[in-house]
Amino acid sequence: MVFNSLTFLLFFPSVALVYFVLPHRWRWVLLLLASYAFYGAWKVEYLGLIMMSTLVDYSVSRFLDQSQDELKRKLALGASIVTNLGLLFFFKYANWFVDDVLVATSLVPEGWAYQWHQHWQVLLPVGISFYTFQTLSYTIDVYFRKVKSESNLLKFGLYVSFFPQLVAGPIERFSRLHHQLFERHPWDWQRVRAGLQIMLFGFFIKMCVADNLAPIVDQVFAAPEQASSEQLFWGMFSFGLQIYSDFHGYSLIAIGTARVLGIRLIDNFNSPYFSTSIKDFWSRWHISLSTWFRDYVYIPLGGNQHRVWKWSLNILIVFAVSGLWHGANWTFVIWGCLHGLAYLVESFTGFRHMRFIGSKWLQWLMTMSVVFIAWVFFRAPTASVAANYLQRMSDGVDGSLSIDWDPMIISFVGLFLLSDVVMRHGRFNEWCDQRHFLVRWSAYAFLIYAIAGFAGTVNHPFIYFQF
Amino acid sequence: MKAAFKISLFALLLIGMNECYQRTAYPMYVAAHADQLLQVEKVKNCDIVYTSASSNFSPDEWNESKKKMSQFMAEAYPDMLVEAFNIPASHAGTHLQLLRRIPAESQVQTVVCAVNLRSMGADWINSELETALNQQAVMYADRPPLLNRLLVSLNAYDHKSVEERHLLRDEAWNNTPLPDYAPEANVSAWCAAPKWGDWRDPKRQLADQFIKQYAFVVDENNPRVQDFDQIAILAQRRGWNLVFSILPENVQLADTLVGKLLTRMMRENANWLEQRYKAMGVLVVNQLEALPSGHFVDKDFPTEHYDEAGRKHIAMNNAMALRKFHPTKYRNPTWSTNMNFSHSP
Repeated sequence: MVFNSLTFLLFFPSVALVYFVLPHRWRWVLLLLASYAFYGAWKVEYLGLIMMSTLVDYSVSRFLDQSQDELKRKLALGASIVTNLGLLFFFKYANWFVDDVLVATSLVPEGWAYQWHQHWQVLLPVGISFYTFQTLSYTIDVYFRKVKSESNLLKFGLYVSFFPQLVAGPIERFSRLHHQLFERHPWDWQRVRAGLQIMLFGFFIKMCVADNLAPIVDQVFAAPEQASSEQLFWGMFSFGLQIYSDFHGYSLIAIGTARVLGIRLIDNFNSPYFSTSIKDFWSRWHISLSTWFRDYVYIPLGGNQHRVWKWSLNILIVFAVSGLWHGANWTFVIWGCLHGLAYLVESFTGFRHMRFIGSKWLQWLMTMSVVFIAWVFFRAPTASVAANYLQRMSDGVDGSLSIDWDPMIISFVGLFLLSDVVMRHGRFNEWCDQRHFLVRWSAYAFLIYAIAGFAGTVNHPFIYFQF
Repeated sequence: MKAAFKISLFALLLIGMNECYQRTAYPMYVAAHADQLLQVEKVKNCDIVYTSASSNFSPDEWNESKKKMSQFMAEAYPDMLVEAFNIPASHAGTHLQLLRRIPAESQVQTVVCAVNLRSMGADWINSELETALNQQAVMYADRPPLLNRLLVSLNAYDHKSVEERHLLRDEAWNNTPLPDYAPEANVSAWCAAPKWGDWRDPKRQLADQFIKQYAFVVDENNPRVQDFDQIAILAQRRGWNLVFSILPENVQLADTLVGKLLTRMMRENANWLEQRYKAMGVLVVNQLEALPSGHFVDKDFPTEHYDEAGRKHIAMNNAMALRKFHPTKYRNPTWSTNMNFSHSP
């Protein structure tokens, strides 16, 4: 089930209604059932996978909590990591690994790859990257005794599958989310209203900004050889805005949905396109993922407690793995590495510490240049297409594409960018709280009218669902 | 009290928004994305409505006349107004939605529906164009326009991906049983039979397509049959005369490429449809074999695109059948097709 669907618009109010009617002790059971229904709506078979992941991590975490034998604990943690990453690898990377690694390096013949594809028609289960990382963080935290393991399997199941953030995050830590799921959350109109306001704004930026930009981006990236340099530039710019509005919109709907139920999720974005360095960008973009990589990859690798070359290597590994997390394609690895390299260049040149008149603007411009150029690799189907795209964009050539720039889309994009200046974290609810009744209701009317009458019509699922 | 005020205000806002949308952006959206809805305005003032997919068009550029089949038919009824719903790749389900939008007080007396046998096969039922057609159909529904537009954005229609549709189609070809007399158990097995020869041979590829398009058994569970059933019920309720015109298929080529077993299946399906709808009081014009192979325009895929003489012939068959309902209105057109008409009332 996706958020921007009629099914969800019927599902969520029904769940919320029953949630507030039910006695407190039954609410978590409702949330668990609702979460499995939400996930199973895609494909019932996927439920088996999430249940398996839940069962493995539940068993391992219970063992980790009770055992004092360090060797056995290490082995148990290893088993959990291998199982989780094994599932992720099989469903997400197996086809890519066969085609782009094994066949490309002639380790297996092409006929073998053909047989593989015939035998294993692997479809990527929605959200597997997100819930795998969430459960991994839990098991690792239990291993390091940062959190106590949950003794009730079903309650742990709810932590893994809580529907607002199940398929595309924010990736929540056990210590932040778990206790909230079982606390008392009485009906509070102010809180419910805040949640609905956040959801409304999330729907606006997903449906009116991202979904209206999607056809333009698709058109340019489908035939970059027919586009002019100017069109390629705007195509790149549009994709940067599309992916931000798409993912930010999704995150806001998730945050708003949870808020209605009384649960606070982590903010995933903080005006990333106002960053003045790549380091700054990653503290504002997909915050729940970047902090996950910091805590569970970068720090275990040694963080900055090493010599310069080792630290540089760690940075590159973290960014490359982060790129690969996004998808099974070399383009994502290149995207990650570009960010990693830019991060290192910034660190070694003192770029972040430049201070002169206009330095902030220069830092912003250079950061955005890297971010948007890297997006071309993120969006293009292959690295060579991305390279040709950028080459053509810099060549100043004419093209034959005809792109329809609807003024309505431009005004939605403008409004979205303006909102990023006005509202921190896209907190439409906080903005509303400070406004007169008439202004507030005018804003509601505008957003509802825009969503109902002018949202994109091409069926575009949330971009991050594929990751 | 405060809550009641807010709810009322919200309801008023929604009504105001719908009015505003209907008068401003809606006509532009319909013109760009659901233009057949504009056709309803024309159709409601006509006497005869013709519904079809692209078979009504004149895709062959070398023919002198670019007239549609419905226009040829209209020439036999010069005193009556004939209009058509024709949407490429559409089917009875799409036509049903549009027919429902014809107002009860319209002048429509007769509805002629082209019945495309191929549209009942797994390939067309699971066509990748279905998603776009379903999206348009949301706008055809009789609801406030702003709500329809919102439902389009919320993908509140069958919007399966191309891959999902191909999977369903392949499942049908792999698992749907064929009649006992068929040489293989299902379409996939039939296509894969070694006797067809090399895959690279264009004739073999065309034979493959003929099997895929026509090797099935039509029954009351077929979604297109259910749509035609609904059209029959709608016509009865509205008091329309209803004609189902089973379109010609290239039976001759099917016989040459695949053989008698496939043409038998095609005939049985067409006869089943004829019997079913005759029993429901519909006038059925079965033209399955009305045209020889030369009148089919597309040579590399089985379609219902006909040359000018073919279109004229089908139109004339329909026109003659319509004499049952409008005996005094019929006039001999100025053209002839040099073919024998298969149907007379």
